Amino acid sequence: MDIRPLTPYDLPGIQNTNITNLPENYFLKYYLYHYASWPSLSFLAVDVATNKTVGYVLAKMEEEPSDGIPHGHITSLSVMRTHRRLGLAEKLMRQSQKAMVEAWGAKYVSLHVRVSNTAALRLYRDTLGFDVEKVEEKYYADGEDAYSMRRDLSFLIEPEEEEEEAEGKKKKKKAKKTKKEGDEQEEDVDIDGDEPEKLKTKEEGKLKTYKLGRQLGVSDLQEVDGRA
Amino acid sequence: MPTSQPLAHKDASLFKQVLKAYETKQYKKGLKTCEQILKKNPNHGETMAMKGLIINALGRTEEAFAIAKDAVKQDMRSHVVWHVYGLLYRSEKMYDKAIGAYKMALRFEPESAQILRDLALLQIQMRDYHGYIETRKTIMQQRPQLRQNWTALAIGHHLVGDYANAEKVLSKFEDTIQGNVHKWDFEHWETCLYKNRIIGESGDTERALEHLNSIAKNTLDKTALYETRAEYLLKLGRMEEAQKAYQLLLDRNPERRAYYAGLEKAMGIDPSNRKAAKPIYDEYAEKYERCDAARRIPLDFLEGDDFKAAADSYLRAKLNKGVPSTFANIKALYADPAKREIIFSLVNSYNEEQEKEEPAETNGDGPKASQFRIWTLYFLAQHYDHYRTRDMTKALEYLEKAIKLAPKTLELYMTEARVYKHAGDLQTAMEKMDTARKLDKSDRYINTKTAKYQLRNDRNDDAIATMGLFTRNDVNPNPLTDLIEMQCIWYLTESAESHFRQKQLGLTLKRYATLLKIFDDWAEDQFDFHSFSLRKGQIRAYVDMLKWEDSLRSHPFYTRAALGAIEAYIYLFDHPTTSGEPELDKLSEADRKKYLKKQKRDETKAKEAAAAKAAKEKEERNKNASASDDTVKKEDTDPLGVELAKTKTPLEEAKKWLDPLVKMSGDTNARVQLIAIEVERRRQKWLLALKALKKAKEIDPQAEGIWEATVRLRKDVSALPTDAPSLSTDSRTLFEEELLPLLAPTADLAALTTDYENTHSGSPAHLREAARVRKVLGLEGFEDALMKSVKVEKAGWKDGVEAVRVAREVGVEERKVKEVAGGRWGRVAAFK
Ligand SMILES: CC(C)(COP(=O)(O)OP(=O)(O)OC[C@H]1O[C@@H](n2cnc3c(N)ncnc32)[C@H](O)[C@@H]1OP(=O)(O)O)[C@@H](O)C(=O)NCCC(=O)NCCS
Repeated sequence: MDIRPLTPYDLPGIQNTNITNLPENYFLKYYLYHYASWPSLSFLAVDVATNKTVGYVLAKMEEEPSDGIPHGHITSLSVMRTHRRLGLAEKLMRQSQKAMVEAWGAKYVSLHVRVSNTAALRLYRDTLGFDVEKVEEKYYADGEDAYSMRRDLSFLIEPEEEEEEAEGKKKKKKAKKTKKEGDEQEEDVDIDGDEPEKLKTKEEGKLKTYKLGRQLGVSDLQEVDGRA
Repeated sequence: MPTSQPLAHKDASLFKQVLKAYETKQYKKGLKTCEQILKKNPNHGETMAMKGLIINALGRTEEAFAIAKDAVKQDMRSHVVWHVYGLLYRSEKMYDKAIGAYKMALRFEPESAQILRDLALLQIQMRDYHGYIETRKTIMQQRPQLRQNWTALAIGHHLVGDYANAEKVLSKFEDTIQGNVHKWDFEHWETCLYKNRIIGESGDTERALEHLNSIAKNTLDKTALYETRAEYLLKLGRMEEAQKAYQLLLDRNPERRAYYAGLEKAMGIDPSNRKAAKPIYDEYAEKYERCDAARRIPLDFLEGDDFKAAADSYLRAKLNKGVPSTFANIKALYADPAKREIIFSLVNSYNEEQEKEEPAETNGDGPKASQFRIWTLYFLAQHYDHYRTRDMTKALEYLEKAIKLAPKTLELYMTEARVYKHAGDLQTAMEKMDTARKLDKSDRYINTKTAKYQLRNDRNDDAIATMGLFTRNDVNPNPLTDLIEMQCIWYLTESAESHFRQKQLGLTLKRYATLLKIFDDWAEDQFDFHSFSLRKGQIRAYVDMLKWEDSLRSHPFYTRAALGAIEAYIYLFDHPTTSGEPELDKLSEADRKKYLKKQKRDETKAKEAAAAKAAKEKEERNKNASASDDTVKKEDTDPLGVELAKTKTPLEEAKKWLDPLVKMSGDTNARVQLIAIEVERRRQKWLLALKALKKAKEIDPQAEGIWEATVRLRKDVSALPTDAPSLSTDSRTLFEEELLPLLAPTADLAALTTDYENTHSGSPAHLREAARVRKVLGLEGFEDALMKSVKVEKAGWKDGVEAVRVAREVGVEERKVKEVAGGRWGRVAAFK
C-alpha cells in the first residue's frame, strides 16, 4: 500500500471508494472543490499491486470558523473492507493533520461520527486522541445522532513557528484586509442563471437549508454540509 | 460605445431595477419590470435582451434565443445586447458561439471588465490559450494592482510552454511587493511555489533548486517543498544531499513508496540487485513500529532464505494481530513461484502447529480460538482461491473450519462468496454474500458487494433494493435516482453489463447514456474553477486540474464503459429491430405480447415516479420561496431507454464513445483499436478500419481478434463492386498496398488460419477466434476449434460461456458445447 497526497486523477477513485463504504456521498465537483481549495490536505491509499484506490481522507479547512480559530475538518474517511486493519486510516489521518498545521495554521481538527460506529470511534478516540465535544442529535439523514469530536493539534506545531505566530498576528490582520478588497472587486455577479436546488434538513431542532446539486456555483458548494 | 437607444430618466432607473432583480434571481419581478419598460419603448433592445436572459433562466430557452436575436437587431451597437447573447450561448454550452458574441460586445465596449472576464473564462474552457493570454493581458493592464491578474496571465504563458514569459510576469508582480510578506499569505507563498515549478519545467534545474532554497523557509506546502527539492537534487546528481532529502521525506511519511525508490536511487542501489537496500528498510522498520512499507517492500526483492525469514516475521505479525487483509497485501508476490511456495509452506506450518495444540474436538465450548488461528485458516482459504493455486474444495474446507471457530466473522462468508463466484456458481455466491451482509447491516461495503454479486447474477431488482438500504431515500424515493446524482459509476456500469447480458437493449443503452453524461458533467465541472481557483490562489492545483480534465476519459472507468456501450450499439446495428428490443423478434407471438405489456407497465411506473419526483421538487422549491426559483426541471420521458434502442444511427451513437476512447487509450490498448475496426468496418470507412488494424498490431501483435479483423476486412473489401461509393479506385489500391503486408508470408487465408490456430493452440480466446474465422472463410474445422477452446487447460468457466455464444453465432449445436463445459464447470447455471 502506498500513502500519498491527492491529485485530480485520483478523484473518481476516491468518489468510488466513498460510495462503496459510506452512506454520505457527493458528486465529483464537491471533491474537486476540496482539491482546488486545500490540495495538500487530502490523501489516499493505493494498492500498489492493482493500482486501485483502497482508502482516502478528504479534508478541508473550516471556511468561516464560528470561534474565529483556524481549524481543519474531516469531510470523509474510509477504507475498503478488504484493506482494513492495516493501519491505513490512522496514517491517512496523521498525514492530513500535519498538513493542516503546516500549510493552513490549523489549531485543531474536528469531525462527526455516527454514535454506533465503534471502529471509527476507537480510531479517533484511542488511536488518534480525539475527544467527544458534544452529541448532535439526528445529525444524519437517517436520524442517527453524531458525536462531534475534535483533536487539539498544538502538539504538531514546531516551537519556532509558535514564536513567529505571536509576532505576526498584527500583520496578518492587515494582509487579510487588502486581500478582501481584491476579492470584492473580482467577485463575479452570478449571472449564468444557475439555480440551486434547495433542501431542508433538520439539525439541532431548527431547520437549516442546504444546497445540493452539481449545477451549483463553487461558492454554493461551500454550504454543502460535509459529513464524515 | 453605448446604446443607440437611450431611455428616458424614469425608464432608465427601471432598467437598473431589472438588472438588480436578475442578479438576485427575482425573475418574476424582473420580467414585470421589463414589460413595463417595453410598453413605452417597444423596440428597446437592451430591455428585450434582459427579458430574454430572464426567460432563459426560467427554462424557456428557445423563446429566450428568439427574443435575444430580436434584441440584437434592434440595437446592433449595444454591448449589453451582445453580452446577453453570449450568456445565452454559454448557458447552452455553445462556447464557440458565446466567444463570438462576447467579442462583438467588446467591440462596442472594449474596456468592460465584466465582459473581458467572461471572455477569458470561455477561452480557457475551450483551451484557446493564445486568446486567453491576450484577454488576460488587457485585464492585467486595467488592474495591475491585483495579483491574480498577473498570475492568470502567467498561467496562460505557462500553458503554451512559454516558461520565460510566465516567469517574467510573476517576477514583475513580486517586484512591486513592498515590505515583508506575512507568514500566512497563502496566495503569495503558493505563487512562489508555482513560479518554482515553472523554472523547474523549463529545464534549468540548477536555478530551480536555487530559487526553491530561497523560498524554502516560508513555503507552506512542506510536502511539495521537500519532494521537489529531492527530485532536483537527484536530477543534478547531488546524491548525498538527495539521500538526506529523501530521508527527511520518509520521516514525514514512511508509507510512501516513491520516497524509498528515490532513496535507493540516491544511494546508488543497483535496481537489478536490490539486496543491498535491505539495511535502509531495516532502519525504518526499527524506527517506526507501525510502519508497514519498510517491512513489506523487502519481500519484493529478497530471495531464498532471506526471503523466508523476512516473510515469516511479516506474516506472523500480521496474522497475530488479526489483520484480515494480510493476503491482499502479499498476493502480488504470487507471481514468483518460489516465493509463492515459501509463503504457502510457512502459513501451512502455522496451521499444522496449531492443529497439534488444539484439543481433539472443539464444540465451541473450548477456549476461544485465537485471532492467529482464524486468520491463518482464512489465509489458506484465500491461497486456494487464488487463480494460480486454485482448489475450490480445499478453499471451502478451510473456510468451514474457520466458520466453526468464529461463526460471526463476516470476512469468512465474503470469501466463501468469492470462491463460488470463481467457480461460476453465481447464485450461491450471491446468497453467501447476502449472509455476510446480514452479519453487519451497518457496513456499506458489504452491502455494496452484495448488490454487485446480485448484478453479476442478473438479479437487477434485488440489486437496486439492496442499494436502496444505503441511498438517501429522503431526497430521492427511487434509489437509482440517488445513485445517478451521486455519479455511482460502478453500479451503472455493472447494471449496463447485466442488462446487455440479458439483451435488454433499452435499459443497457439507458445506463450507458447516463454514464456518458456523467463524464460530460465532469468536463463541465471545471468551468467554475477558472475564476474560483484564481481567487483562492491555489494555482498549482488549478493547473493540474486543467491537465486532468484534458485526459478525463483516459480513466479505466471510461474505457470499460465505452467498450461496453460500443459493443451494445454494434449489436443493435447487427440486429436491427423495430421494437427496440432485438430479443423480442425471437419470442412467440403470445410471449411477445406479454413482454410488451410488462414493458408498458414498467414504463408507466417509471414515468409516474419521475413525475412524482418532479412534483415533489417543485413543492420543495415553493416552500423555499425566498427566491423565485421557478426553473423547470426536465422530466425523464424515456426511463427504460425504449427510444434509445430505436435509434436509426447506432454507429454514430457508438462514435460518440469511440472518438474520445481512441484519443485517450488508442495508443496503448489494442482492444480499443479492435473495437474501432468493428465500428469503422460497419460504417464502410475502410481506410479508417485499416489504420486501426495496423495500430492494434503495433500495440500487441498477439492480441486476440487481430486475425479475425484482418480476414473480415479483406473479405468485405474484396466483395465490394469496383464502383462502390465507399471506396474509390485510388483508395482501393492504397488499401491493398497497406493490407498485404499484414497477410505475409502468403495471402492464402486458409493456410494462415491453420498457422494461427497452431500458434495459439493453448489459448481459449484465440481458438474461438479461429472458429469464427473458419466460419467466415467457409472452411472446415470450426466446430473442432470451438470444442477445443473449452477443453484446453487454460480455459475457465467464462470461456465456456463465451463458447456457447460463439456456438450460436457459427452454427454449432449449443448442446455440444454445454455438455463439455458443464462436465468441467458443473456449478455454472448457463451450462445446465
Ligand atoms: C473506520 C475505518 C476508516 C478504519 O480504517 P482502518 O484502516 O481499518 O483503520 P486502522 O487500521 O488505521 O486502525 C487504526 C486503529 O483504529 C482502531 N480500529 C480500527 N478498526 C477497528 C475495528 N473494526 N474495531 C476496533 N477498533 C478498530 C484500532 O484501535 C486500530 O489500531 P490497531 O490496529 O493497532 O488496533 C474503516 O473501518 C472504515 O472505512 N469503515 C467504514 C467507513 C467509516 O465508518 N468511516 C468513518 C466515518 S466517520
